[in-house]
Amino acid sequence: MTRPGRSTEIRKKNGHFEARFVAMGSPCEVLLESDSESNAAAVAGSVSTEAWRIEDKFSRYLPDNIVHRINNSGGAPVEVDDETANLIDFAATLYEMSDGRFDITSGVLREAWNFDGSDNVPADSEVDRILERVGWSKVKWNRPELILTAGMQIDLGGIAKEYAVDKAASEAAAETDDACLVNFGGDLVATKAPTRSKGWQVGIDALDQAQGLPQKLIRLQNGGLATSGDARRFLLKDGIRYSHILDPTTGWPVRNAPRSITVAADTCTQAGMLATLAMLEGQGAETFLADQDCKYWCYR
Amino acid sequence: MKKLNTIASALLVAGLAGLSGCSSMGVEPWERDIMAKDEMQLTSDPLEAAIDDHIYFSKEASSGGRGFGGGGCGCN
Amino acid sequence: MSRKKSKSVAATLTTATCALLGTTSTTPVNAQEEDEWELDTALLYYNEDGNRVQDISFKMLANRNFIDDRVLSLSLGVDSLTGATPIGAIPFAGPQTFTSPSGNQVRTAPPGEIPLDPSFLDTRVALTANWQQPLGRLSSFNAGLSASSEYDYLHLGANFKLSRDFNKRNTTVSLGLAFAADELDPVGGAPTPLTPMLDVDDLSNRMGNQNKDVMDVVLGVSQIINQNLIMQFNYSFSSSDGYLNDPYKIVSLVDPVTGDPVPRIPTPGVDGPSHEYRFESRPGERTKHSLFGQAKYYMNGKVLDASYRYMTDDWDIDSHTVDVRFRWPIGDRSYLEPHFRYYTQTHANFYRTSLDSSLPLPPHASADYRLGEFDAITLGLKYGWKTESGNEWSARLEAYSADGSVPANLLIGSNQGGLEMYPDLDAIIAQFSYSFGW
Repeated sequence: MTRPGRSTEIRKKNGHFEARFVAMGSPCEVLLESDSESNAAAVAGSVSTEAWRIEDKFSRYLPDNIVHRINNSGGAPVEVDDETANLIDFAATLYEMSDGRFDITSGVLREAWNFDGSDNVPADSEVDRILERVGWSKVKWNRPELILTAGMQIDLGGIAKEYAVDKAASEAAAETDDACLVNFGGDLVATKAPTRSKGWQVGIDALDQAQGLPQKLIRLQNGGLATSGDARRFLLKDGIRYSHILDPTTGWPVRNAPRSITVAADTCTQAGMLATLAMLEGQGAETFLADQDCKYWCYR
Repeated sequence: MKKLNTIASALLVAGLAGLSGCSSMGVEPWERDIMAKDEMQLTSDPLEAAIDDHIYFSKEASSGGRGFGGGGCGCN
Repeated sequence: MSRKKSKSVAATLTTATCALLGTTSTTPVNAQEEDEWELDTALLYYNEDGNRVQDISFKMLANRNFIDDRVLSLSLGVDSLTGATPIGAIPFAGPQTFTSPSGNQVRTAPPGEIPLDPSFLDTRVALTANWQQPLGRLSSFNAGLSASSEYDYLHLGANFKLSRDFNKRNTTVSLGLAFAADELDPVGGAPTPLTPMLDVDDLSNRMGNQNKDVMDVVLGVSQIINQNLIMQFNYSFSSSDGYLNDPYKIVSLVDPVTGDPVPRIPTPGVDGPSHEYRFESRPGERTKHSLFGQAKYYMNGKVLDASYRYMTDDWDIDSHTVDVRFRWPIGDRSYLEPHFRYYTQTHANFYRTSLDSSLPLPPHASADYRLGEFDAITLGLKYGWKTESGNEWSARLEAYSADGSVPANLLIGSNQGGLEMYPDLDAIIAQFSYSFGW
C-alpha cells in the first residue's frame, strides 16, 4: 500500500548521490558514494522501502497495524510476530536497565503534557490520574503474547527510528559495496567510510539555530550517531524550563536534563538508547555517559 | 630553452603514460586504514616542511621540488 | 541509577541490540570529532657558528575545517634575525675596510678572516591564506595568497593548484601555479651591478627600488602502490626575472700576480673602502627545473620517508638532495624520528671568488658562497608525543654543516691558495612544536 507523499528524490550533489524522502515524520536522506545513478536509485529504494515498512508497522498513528491492535485490545491477549516481539524484548531490557525510566507505556502521559513552548504545565492531580495507566510492570509479556491492562498503551516511537536506521543501513549494505550514509532526521549510520575523505562529515546542530553553522563537525567512518533532545520542545513556567523528556516514574519532566545529547556507538540503536538513558539521568547525564566509554556530545 | 622545453614535454608524456600503467597498482577503498594515518601523509608536518624549505632556501641555491619554490624573502 | 550499575549499561545494551537486529557482531564505531580549528605552532631557534646568523622565530599554521571538506588555512611567521653574513670579499693578510650597506659608515674586517657584514639585523613577518575545496567527486581546488615583509624586502604572491584522482583514488595528478612579485628596497638603495663600492655618503651608484618576479609550475603525480607504500613524483619549473642580485654582496678585485685585493685610496678627508670591490652582478633571468621523488613506507608502525630531488638551472647549478626520515614509535603515544639530509651543488657559471684587475670585468660575477660548490649534511633527531586529548608536542634538534671548496681554476695569483676562501657553515636548528585543536 502506498501512502500519499511517499516519493524519493535523487540528485547528484558534490560528487555523490543524495536521495531524500520523508518517513516517521522526519526528513530522511541517503548519501551514496557512487558513480552510478541506477545503483543510487536501487539503494535509495531499498532504504526508503524499509523505512516506510517500519513506519507502517509500528506507528501509533496508523489504524491498521500491530501497535494499534495492542493499544485497542481492551485487556485481551495479543499475539505478536517475531519482529514486534524482538522490539518488546528490547524495550523490556531497557526498562530493567533504567530502573523503570525507559518505559514504552509512558506515551499516555502526553495526554497531560504538550511541549509547545507555552507555560501549559498540568496539575499534579491530572498527572497522577494518568500515571495509573503507566508502567511496564503492569504489563503481562509472555513472548509472543502481550496483555495490556485496559486503558494502557504502548509506543515504540522511542526505539523505532533508530531501529529503522540500522535495518535500512543493512539493506543498503546488502545492495551495494559503495560507502553509504543513512540519516533519518539526525539519527544516522555510516556503512563504511567514503574514499574521498577521512569520513562522512556530520554536523551537530547548534542549539541556537540562528547561528547557522553546525556546532561540531564529526568525521564518521562507520557506526551510528543519534541525538536525543530538542531545543524547541519545552515548556516554560515561572522561570523553570521543562524539557520534553518525561520520567514515567514521576510523570514529570526529568529535572536538569541537558538540551541535547549526541552519542556515537556501533549501531544507531545503541547510540539512540544511550542518549535517551543519559537524558533520563538529568543532572547526571555526563557522568552516566562518561561511564559508558562512548563518544558523546552533551549540551546544556 | 629549447632543450628544456623538450624535457618538460617528455616528462609530461612519461607522466601520462605512467598513469595508465598504474591502474593495476593501488588498494581498495577499505584497505586505506594505513594510508589514512597522519604520519603517512606525503607532507605529514606542513609547518616543519615550510620551516625547512625556508632555511634551505636561504642557504642553498636550490628550492622547492616538493611544492613551490619557497622564498618570498630577501635572504637569497 | 547508581554509578556502579550504570557501568554495565553499555555491555547489556550491546547484547540486547544484537538480539534486536539479529546480528552477531558489529564493526566498532569510528567517529572522530573534527576540530573546527587545528593549530600547529612552532618556536624555532637557528644559530650559525662564529657569530653569524641567528634567527629566533615563531610560526603558526591554522586550519579551519568547514563542512564538505572545505578548508581555510592561515599561516603567520615572525622571524627575528641578527648576526653577520659573509659579504663576498676574499680574506687578506691585512685589514680590509668596507663601506656599510647604508653607505654612511665604514667597517673594518680583521686580517686573515673572511669579511662579514655585522649589520645584519632584520625582522620578517610572513602571512599566507589558502582555500581548499573539492570540485565534484574526484577533483579539488586550492588557491592562496602570500605576503611577507622585511625592512628591505616586500613579497606578494598568489598560487593555485588543481588535483584530480584516478584509479579508485589511488592516483592523484596535480598541477600547481605560483606567481610572486617581490620588491627590494635595500638600505642606501640597490647598487648598480659591477660598480665599485664607493666612499661613505657617495650614493651615486645606487638605484631606486628593484623588482623580482617569479613564476613556478609544479606538475605532480602521487600513487598508492599498496597498503603500505605511497610514492610521489613532481616536476617543477621556476622562472625568475628582474633584480636577482643580493644587493649587499661584493667581489674583490685582485692583483693578477699576487692574488691580493687591489688597494684603493679614499677621497682625502672621507672614509671609504681600503680596496677595490665591485658589487655583484647576476643575470637578470634564471630558469630552474626540478625533479622530486618521494616514497613513504609503513612497516609495522614505523614509517620510512625518503625523498630525492634533482635540480638544474641555466646558471649551470646542478644539485642533488637526499632526505631520509624514519619514524620510530615508542609506546602508543610517542615516537622518535631521526633525520638525515645530504645536499650537493655545483657552482654557478658566473661564480668568482675574486676578479682579475688586469682583465675587463665579466658581464656577471658573484662571490656569494651560496652560488659556490659545496656539500651539506643535516643530522637531526625529533621526539614527539601525543597528550591524552590528542594534542601533540614535539622537539627536534638538528645540525647543519655545509662544506664548500673553490675550484683551483677560480684562484688567482700566488697568495690565494693558502687562504680559506670558502665560508663553511655550521648551524644548529632547535624547534619546539605544539599542535592542538578546538
